[in-house]
Amino acid sequence: MSALQPSSFSVLRARGIAKTYPSGDRTLAVLTGVDFALAAGETVSVRGESGSGKSTLLNILAGLDRPDRGELFWGTEAAHDLSLGELTARRSRFLGMVFQSYYLIPELDAFANVLLGARMLGGVGAAERARATALLRRVGLAERGHHLPAQLSGGERQRVAVARALMNRPAVILADEPTGNLDERTGDEVIGLLLEVCAEEKAALVLVTHNPAHAKKTSRQLVLKNGQMGYG
Amino acid sequence: MPWPIYLAFKQLFPSGRRVPFFTLISVLGVALGVALMLVTMSVMGGFGHQIKKMIIDTQGEVQVRARVLLDQPAAATVEKALAASPAVEAYAPYATGMVMLEYQSRPAFPAVQGFNYEQMKKVVPLGQYLTAGSLDNLDDDSVILSSVLASTLGVRMGDTVSLYSPLALERAKRNELLLPREVLVAGIFHVGHQQLDSSTVLCSLRLMQDLYGLEQRVHGYNVRLKPGADEHAAAAALNQNLPAGTRALTWFEANADFQAVLSFERNMIFFLLTFIIVVAAFSITSSLLVTVVRKTREIGLLGAMGGRARHVAACFCVQGLFIGLAGTALGLALGFALLHFRDDLVGFIARMTMGREAFVKFYQFSALPAHTAPKDVALIIIFSVLASTIAGLIPAWRAARLQPVEALRSE
Repeated sequence: MSALQPSSFSVLRARGIAKTYPSGDRTLAVLTGVDFALAAGETVSVRGESGSGKSTLLNILAGLDRPDRGELFWGTEAAHDLSLGELTARRSRFLGMVFQSYYLIPELDAFANVLLGARMLGGVGAAERARATALLRRVGLAERGHHLPAQLSGGERQRVAVARALMNRPAVILADEPTGNLDERTGDEVIGLLLEVCAEEKAALVLVTHNPAHAKKTSRQLVLKNGQMGYG
Repeated sequence: MPWPIYLAFKQLFPSGRRVPFFTLISVLGVALGVALMLVTMSVMGGFGHQIKKMIIDTQGEVQVRARVLLDQPAAATVEKALAASPAVEAYAPYATGMVMLEYQSRPAFPAVQGFNYEQMKKVVPLGQYLTAGSLDNLDDDSVILSSVLASTLGVRMGDTVSLYSPLALERAKRNELLLPREVLVAGIFHVGHQQLDSSTVLCSLRLMQDLYGLEQRVHGYNVRLKPGADEHAAAAALNQNLPAGTRALTWFEANADFQAVLSFERNMIFFLLTFIIVVAAFSITSSLLVTVVRKTREIGLLGAMGGRARHVAACFCVQGLFIGLAGTALGLALGFALLHFRDDLVGFIARMTMGREAFVKFYQFSALPAHTAPKDVALIIIFSVLASTIAGLIPAWRAARLQPVEALRSE
């Protein structure tokens, strides 16, 4: 399977993705025809210089942003034909996201933050509570469930964010520089944990990172350069 | 619980943390507005209620008034109509006017109400307002004075006062001298309304008819209705059977101008006080707008997690609603507490400022009345909750317009 040759068995596929941004009186072409495919359970890293369009690509793959042209498939569904509202409705079931700045809700404790994804899907019962508890235990925070984000360290907050992303059993996890705010050792621990739990949950992972060591831990390493995707 | 409501509640009252300052300020703003509205409307209602009670206690629920005077045949027709009415429990004729009262060379010009005591005691409970003497002692040579009139003139029970009737002027034109009527003070009454207490004389109907030369004629009838009878329906039914030149008026109609002023004052005060809640609502809007700006990236996260724009909007709308509900509940509690301790508070304020006597003289009541109408409470609740919810709409609209990708990128 190749990033440049999308497969019909891919859980996430993008073909010919292009995106430009206005920059003063010019137009800046950030992505100029990116092809990308991700198999179920696969882990892929995307590296690139600052401003190379990694986060833009991730936002487009997540359905948060629209490409100027190109096609996007979530499983077999043509996501490029869906409105932003329809994408929003499907996103919570299809994918989970992990951000550099964690983005935990400060008023909710760790357990409630993890549970929020399930709550947004419509209901929280015993099964959802049990899963949130299990996920917190899995990321090593079984005893910290009732701590607010402000009472957690950066690494712990990112672990909560990982658990939250996995709560709804998504097919894909998109992680946008998840170690950017962490020290090297904590970052290594978080990446190790992220890869392990994704494997356990059979979730595919797209990891955007600057760190070559972290990138090497994924099954495929891609590089975004001059608006095009290539092998690292 | 739907997640927008859950999140709204958590943002206002986070578990394990102090209630955010903005929530407190917003809730307090609404609460103070609600409390002030409740207290003011209740006190205004209390004045109205007190006035109604005093009017009914001194006039009856219905008055039959003659355009000029009722002579005996006309009075008999009126009495026949009153006796035939199923709503009427009792009635009593009255005559009224002004006299000059003199005691030890000190004059006063009170209003005089003459009535037949045996009939009148079935209509109005005047006896309960007597502070000295008894209505049983009232005869054609005695009067009962209002408390302030008596104290102003220095009159006490058993003293004799002189009554000068306007009839003396008529006689003087004919070069006749009409001597003043010397009467005994048989009692003193205090209703609690400064206007009535300051300058009123009660006497027998015969004495009043003598003073004004009315012979057997009367000005009208005070009417007591049976319990539960509707005064408007009873007055309307009586008017069908009364002779020409007479009309039955409810206590409200008989004092329509005064009631209209009270009602106008009440409505104006309600209107003006609504601005306090409007200002509190602006404070909610401004606080929630700050929250939207502060939480821009969290709003983006909610979108990234699958939260729809209308749910994000609902989250902020519900915050306005929660603030409105909490503020209204707190305001009602505060308002009812203030009403409960109103006399202590007013006494304290009166002592600190003008003094209690000046307060009674100026406001005409010896105690601050209060009557809370359920309709007023419902109106205050609806208005404050509605204003607070609407206050959340602008921040909600702004939050809903944020695109997740832009919100997540914001610094």
